[in-house]
Amino acid sequence: MNQAWILLFLPLAVAAASLLLPRRTALVPWLATASAAATLVLSLHLVGSTGTASFDWASVGGLHLRVGILLDRLSTGMMVVVTGVGVLVHVFSLAYMRDDAAKARYFTCLQLFMFSMTGIVLASDFIMTFIFWELVGLSSYLLIGHWFEKTSAADAAKKAFLCNRVGDFGFLTGILLLWSITGTLAFSSMDVPTSVSASLVTASLLCIFCGAIGKSAQLPLHVWLPDAMEGPTPVSALIHAATMVAAGVYMLFRLQLSLGAEVFGGLAGDVIAWTGGLTALAAALMAVQQDDIKRVLAYSTLSQLGYMVMAVGLAAGEAGMFHLFTHAWFKALLFLGAGAVIHACHHEQDIWKLGGLMRRMPVTGATFLAGCAALIAVPFTSGFFSKELILDAARGHQPVLFWIAVAVAVLTPFYMTRLVIVAFFGGSRSDAASHAREVGPLMAVPLLVLAVPALIAGNRIAHGFAPAVPERAGEFHLNSLFWISVAALVAGSGAAILLYRGKSRDPLSIPLLRERFYIDRFYDRFIVRHLQDSAAAIVHFLDEWIINGLLVDGCSRAAASFGGLLRRMQSGHLQGHAFAFGLGVLLVIYFTVFF
Amino acid sequence: MLTLLILFPLFALVAILAGAPARPTAAAAASANLLLAVAAAVTWHHPAWEFSLQVLETPAIHLAFGFPDGMSVVMVLLTALVTLPAVLTGTAPAGRGSLWYGSTLLISAGAMGAFAATDLFFFYAFHELALIPTFIMIGLLGRGNRSEAAWKITIYLGLGSIVLLAGLVWLAMLAGTLDMTRMADAAGHIDAGSQTSIAALLILGFGTLVSLFPFHSWAAPAYASAPAPVAMLHAGVLKKFGLYGLLRVAMPMVPEGMQAWLTPLLVLLLGNILWCGWVTISHKRLDGMLGSSSVMHMGYLFLAIAVLAAHPANDLARPAAVLLMFAHGVSIALLFALADRIERTAGTLDLDDLGGLATPAPVLALLFGIGAMASIGLPGLANFAGEILVFLSAFRNFDPASGIGPLQITCILAIWGVVISAVYMLRALRRIFHGPTFGATARVADLTLAERIPALLLVAALLAVGLYPNLILNLLR
Amino acid sequence: MASLNDYLLVSGLLFAAGLAGVVIRRNIIVVFMCLELMLSAANLSLIAFSRFNTTGGLPDPDGQMLVFFVITVAAAEVAVGLAIIVSLYRARQTIHTDELTSLRG
Repeated sequence: MNQAWILLFLPLAVAAASLLLPRRTALVPWLATASAAATLVLSLHLVGSTGTASFDWASVGGLHLRVGILLDRLSTGMMVVVTGVGVLVHVFSLAYMRDDAAKARYFTCLQLFMFSMTGIVLASDFIMTFIFWELVGLSSYLLIGHWFEKTSAADAAKKAFLCNRVGDFGFLTGILLLWSITGTLAFSSMDVPTSVSASLVTASLLCIFCGAIGKSAQLPLHVWLPDAMEGPTPVSALIHAATMVAAGVYMLFRLQLSLGAEVFGGLAGDVIAWTGGLTALAAALMAVQQDDIKRVLAYSTLSQLGYMVMAVGLAAGEAGMFHLFTHAWFKALLFLGAGAVIHACHHEQDIWKLGGLMRRMPVTGATFLAGCAALIAVPFTSGFFSKELILDAARGHQPVLFWIAVAVAVLTPFYMTRLVIVAFFGGSRSDAASHAREVGPLMAVPLLVLAVPALIAGNRIAHGFAPAVPERAGEFHLNSLFWISVAALVAGSGAAILLYRGKSRDPLSIPLLRERFYIDRFYDRFIVRHLQDSAAAIVHFLDEWIINGLLVDGCSRAAASFGGLLRRMQSGHLQGHAFAFGLGVLLVIYFTVFF
Repeated sequence: MLTLLILFPLFALVAILAGAPARPTAAAAASANLLLAVAAAVTWHHPAWEFSLQVLETPAIHLAFGFPDGMSVVMVLLTALVTLPAVLTGTAPAGRGSLWYGSTLLISAGAMGAFAATDLFFFYAFHELALIPTFIMIGLLGRGNRSEAAWKITIYLGLGSIVLLAGLVWLAMLAGTLDMTRMADAAGHIDAGSQTSIAALLILGFGTLVSLFPFHSWAAPAYASAPAPVAMLHAGVLKKFGLYGLLRVAMPMVPEGMQAWLTPLLVLLLGNILWCGWVTISHKRLDGMLGSSSVMHMGYLFLAIAVLAAHPANDLARPAAVLLMFAHGVSIALLFALADRIERTAGTLDLDDLGGLATPAPVLALLFGIGAMASIGLPGLANFAGEILVFLSAFRNFDPASGIGPLQITCILAIWGVVISAVYMLRALRRIFHGPTFGATARVADLTLAERIPALLLVAALLAVGLYPNLILNLLR
Repeated sequence: MASLNDYLLVSGLLFAAGLAGVVIRRNIIVVFMCLELMLSAANLSLIAFSRFNTTGGLPDPDGQMLVFFVITVAAAEVAVGLAIIVSLYRARQTIHTDELTSLRG
């Protein structure tokens, strides 16, 4: 158990120490990387162990909020993913951020993130989940805004934080409702009593799901994730692909484990599954028309997260978690590959200005292809096994969702093949691309290491490390489902090869998809500018004029004008006063004598 | 012992008036007070902390101090904790040193006395004592539209105090004693009608002092005009007097009366959180925004009080409110201190004129960021623990079988305030610290070591309590 | 012999003349003199009351005593008042009451 506590607090200690260390030393990056490596060793050591431990964090009256650790297959498996990807991203960053002036801050924030993410994974208690949920939001904010001098990065960081906050509004409400329903905050002892109305349970689940919508960037709060690509690319790999954005799925599955899958049966499950399915489809469509290499990957992350959420909604959380496990490896690989490309091409991210990189960067190209194969579910890669399970779950429950998922399975190979053909094959279309050279060992080694789990994480040999393994995981049958997925794969990649081979401009132009269904623009124009800013201005105006102006100043003006009336009498004329005085005396005499 | 806490600032004040160097004397007194307050927090059960001296026989008024429960200890600790940074932050205009530091110390002494008094008369009188230098400082040494702001706060708080005085006098007459520790027993037999009227007066009086909606329009202009130490001490400490009074006087003595006003209170506190939250979003200057945000955050504290009014036996609301008062006091003091530093070096607090400040002043940005994050309730900083306990308290007595009541609906709407505060705080961070550096901000130097000390003190308190809230909660057990 | 009513009538006339002077005249010295006239009117009625309210054949001493008080106080008042007027004149170069309105609120 002590190892688990060290696992949790080591990154925090390192982050705190980094703040106190002198800035210009090169010590901080190496210290952070060493800490990440240590956490990976600890996580591997903890695989398979179970247990709980906690201490009182805040105790009031009869309520004890506890910070605790819950070790089980789910949390230890997830820790392997977090620390495994984490350490590779640290190593990759050593090279990627070598020339950055603020790399000490960067690595401090990475350690803060590792601490927060570990907290979410190990949390034994819903309040603790919420605490670390917010902290990953903070570290994500800080890392997206790493280059805060850039207007776009600063805006993206703010947007990410705010979208998450909107989700957290629901999340916190849901936690409070669930707390009053079950009477506990601890995952281990949650139980829905039969006396509680089903609608209240559904409401609380949907509120909690709002948190997952924010963190895992589902419709309609998905807008922050593509913008979050403004952060350094290793961060995108770790936080915005492999781990943090998957926290929503993890949390929902944790809830499914403690409440029982049957609670997700009714309306709540349907809403979750449909949100996931629609996000998967919409994001895949948007990815088709993106030109920025990182944005294509970001939309594909959205789409894959949609798959996972859909699986949880279909009460097949194991399949969702299994996909999370495989996805983490291959998506981290793809992002780091993109990072290598961006690094080699002097921060050129437009795929139409790349091209021909396969020859110049063979290691990056080959590993990118491996990751791509897993993402588009080439048979026997890791993504193939996990996606198959989700499709299977969808077919059993909701035929419409199944066909949506199949459509996504066609679109995914389409846009990924497009990306690979345009960026890695053909001729170089810019100076930056034609002078690209293979990256150094600090960046190449993480790519090569990641390529291994990207290919084999779905197979039996890796199941020991997986956070959840569904019944038929890693099995292979030549059934109708297999043929459907192969057909989808062939159709998608085939169409892309036909369409994009040898092209130097995008032959397709679909403004609706390029503009992301105009959702961002709608939010910016309507919700932020009108609903929020104009309304705030109106409320401020009312506050100024009605409360402050009319009521308060009205009172003061009434008092002032009454005083002004009285002031007239203070003319300062000696004789006027004397006259009034005499008149007063006369009146007094008159009234006393004659009445 | 406890009297020393009030006497240290007063002695220092006399010394300053007699010609002692103002800043070192004030800093010494504030440091001594901080040490004493920490000692008090550790050993407050000891009878050495009690003091009583009869000053008038009929009515029996005692100059009495003591710690009837942990709530006073926390508030005294908060006062001492904010006073030292308030003294150290900012510099007096040339030649006005004795007025500047003397007033700061007097406010601190008044707040300290109000929180430590166990006699209703001195409870009220010390608060009034602290208000006078507040008005003077805003009127004489403030900035911007200071005379109007000073008039507004004087009239508002004066009227609020009068209404409050009426309620307190009525209460004391019915209870037959001024000893606050014994009043609660004597007050048990007050009839429901009088309770309702007294509660109305107390809510109105204390509420005005805490800027309860719609009596809030003094706060933003006053804090925007106030010199930094006054803004820190008033928003951070003195304003909490109203909430402290509601918890200390109104709740135990007129519980039925408070219950009668539950629904209006719920509506008004939503006015604080949602209405004033929207107002805060549209503020164009940092100081006005911070002032308005402090009005908004009072809504959460009123939520805790509403929970207590609805369920007097609720075991979460009172500690939650005290913890949140402490946290808010520290965080808003930190923000006002740093905002003042920005204004002094950049010459403006207009969000349009600032930008990219994090590049020339990273430490300033870090510390301000911590304050801003505390203010929007980020876990790991003290405010979160307070807010989450307030929200939990609203659902503590909720029976899921009976459906959602008005208290729970209010709480859920109040949680939306968490989003609103994130909107304005992040926008301010974005506008002030991020983006390209230009114009007024390029010449801003980072905090010097001496300037970091007061801010670090407050940050340390936020972090310590945020990481382990039991530090404060154990005092309230 | 004149009756009490006659004395009071004269006293009333004197008082009215004094009050009229105070209200109407603008020269502050004249106002001051009219003020003295009003005091004299009061003195006259006090003496008259004393004379017509005998106790044991002697006039009531209280009234006469009060008159002496008024005379001494009036003397002091004249001293102070004239001094004020002199310094007022020095400060403002006028003793016209219309121009002395610094008490206006």
